[in-house]
Amino acid sequence: MLKKRFFAGKGKYTGAAIVALVVILLFLLPPIGISRYYIHILIGVFIYIIMTSSLRLISLSGQISLGHAGFMCAGAYTSAVIAKNFGLAPWLTIPLGALLTFILAFLVAIPFTRLRGLYFTMISLFFGMAVLAINELFQDITGGQSGMVGIPTLFGISKIPYYYFFLALTLVCLFVMHRLEFSRIGLTWKAVAQSHSVASSIGIDEARQRIMCFALGGLFAGLTGAAYAHYYVVLSVTTFSFFTSIYLFIYMMVGGVNSFYGPIVGTAVLLLVQTFARGLREYVPFIFAAVLLLVLYLMPQGLAGLPAQLKSLVQRRGNPPEKEVIGRVP
Amino acid sequence: MFLEVNNISKNFGGLTAVSKFGMAVAEGNIVALIGPNGAGKTTIFNLITGVIRPDSGTVIFDGRVVTGKRPHTIAAGGIGRTFQLTPLFADFTTLENVIASVYLHSRSSFWCSLFNTRAYCRNEAYALDKANEILELVGLSKVKDELAKNLPHGYQKMLGIARALAVQPKLLMLDEPLGGMNADEIAFTMGVMGKMRQEGMTILVIEHNMQILDLCDHVVAINFGQKICDGSVADVTCHPEVIRAYLGE
Repeated sequence: MLKKRFFAGKGKYTGAAIVALVVILLFLLPPIGISRYYIHILIGVFIYIIMTSSLRLISLSGQISLGHAGFMCAGAYTSAVIAKNFGLAPWLTIPLGALLTFILAFLVAIPFTRLRGLYFTMISLFFGMAVLAINELFQDITGGQSGMVGIPTLFGISKIPYYYFFLALTLVCLFVMHRLEFSRIGLTWKAVAQSHSVASSIGIDEARQRIMCFALGGLFAGLTGAAYAHYYVVLSVTTFSFFTSIYLFIYMMVGGVNSFYGPIVGTAVLLLVQTFARGLREYVPFIFAAVLLLVLYLMPQGLAGLPAQLKSLVQRRGNPPEKEVIGRVP
Repeated sequence: MFLEVNNISKNFGGLTAVSKFGMAVAEGNIVALIGPNGAGKTTIFNLITGVIRPDSGTVIFDGRVVTGKRPHTIAAGGIGRTFQLTPLFADFTTLENVIASVYLHSRSSFWCSLFNTRAYCRNEAYALDKANEILELVGLSKVKDELAKNLPHGYQKMLGIARALAVQPKLLMLDEPLGGMNADEIAFTMGVMGKMRQEGMTILVIEHNMQILDLCDHVVAINFGQKICDGSVADVTCHPEVIRAYLGE
């Protein structure tokens, strides 16, 4: 199930080489001269990669959240409101927005994590909706349905600095999430996800781990949202609606929930598909739903699990692997 | 006494699962808890380890009252246990299963884990060594990289014990360790238990397979949530109430 083992050995360097190549390519894209439009699209991809990956971070402890866009919303509006109304510089309000979202996520996690499985998912969904409702309640400050304008920018008009900023932010966030997952913290979360009773029997404070995992996921979402606000400059609640949370979930599932690289691949592929199929905008939900069903049915490990799946398929065609006999306890 | 259970009762709705049950376990002993299906043995385990709270009564372990504490605190206090039905983390390898348990006694702070500090690496190396040592003891070294769910039943049971041992408990509580094992595996498991006792481990074991009594210093028999008899192996196996509970009138 877990794609990458805790003590990974084989194939470590091929993977690292591919990652390095992709990162170098991304750094070289603007000088090569891609258009402003594609830079804008790629910034969007970076933003949603952090969102989807942080959604998966929460899922490591066995919690599927459908209110993740709510934290992005909280981070975005917190940072935007502080920057706009108090005149603080965005590079100060972005960490502040992230921090406040972390605190919010921590506080809501305390009651939420008392629920498990589907019940947790349901309450997270309501949380996502509640954030939007609260947003409308304070429409004097947030602009409500008509949106919020006049948010200070981070770097001005040119898109190139934003591109590098979001690329760096994504790499840092992914690095931290990778460390979290493949350190003992991640192992503990995965243990909690598999069996809370066994986890507590080996001294894991199950509730605390789930709260911490959820709050950290919220931190990344808040950070992303805050940075987002000072790039897009205009905020609208529809960006953070229930559909965004669902899309994040679809990106994650299509990419492969069991792999660290799943959300990255899934988000990139689906967002680029969405870009190239602009003419079919109103059909996007249908297309995504169909893609999700097909992926779940044909490749349960998602796009990231495709190489392994193809490999085993080819092997099965060629010569069926011999069933290894483990034998008995000595 | 090392472990004292005083007068604990537990009702689930109208059903009395355990009623005014008391027992004691002396340090270094192997004590068996026997009784027919549904007698309340596993409920007693859950009451001792804090999975469920008793309606009344107390549990004293190693001089401290543990009633009302949460399971992870009780585990950290020195009670390791196995489960009858979900003995392990199915999607972890054998080694990861044991390592996750060893972590209890080689704590690393959040920041140390995140930044991979030297202290963290040392703790990690310690956990790996310790886990390998335990797997060697229970004879699972050769399957340490297999996923736990792919292991044969006997191995899974053994891994459950390894996991409980890895928290370095003072009291080991085994819920039907021999259930579903073949003769070789039973002999091996009992050998491991004997070895544990020599090292000074106290073991409380639920078992239906009466071969276990060869190892036991003390036996407690229960039926319908009540203790029917408590004593040495010879006393309990000849006790008329026990015979009635198992064989009927």
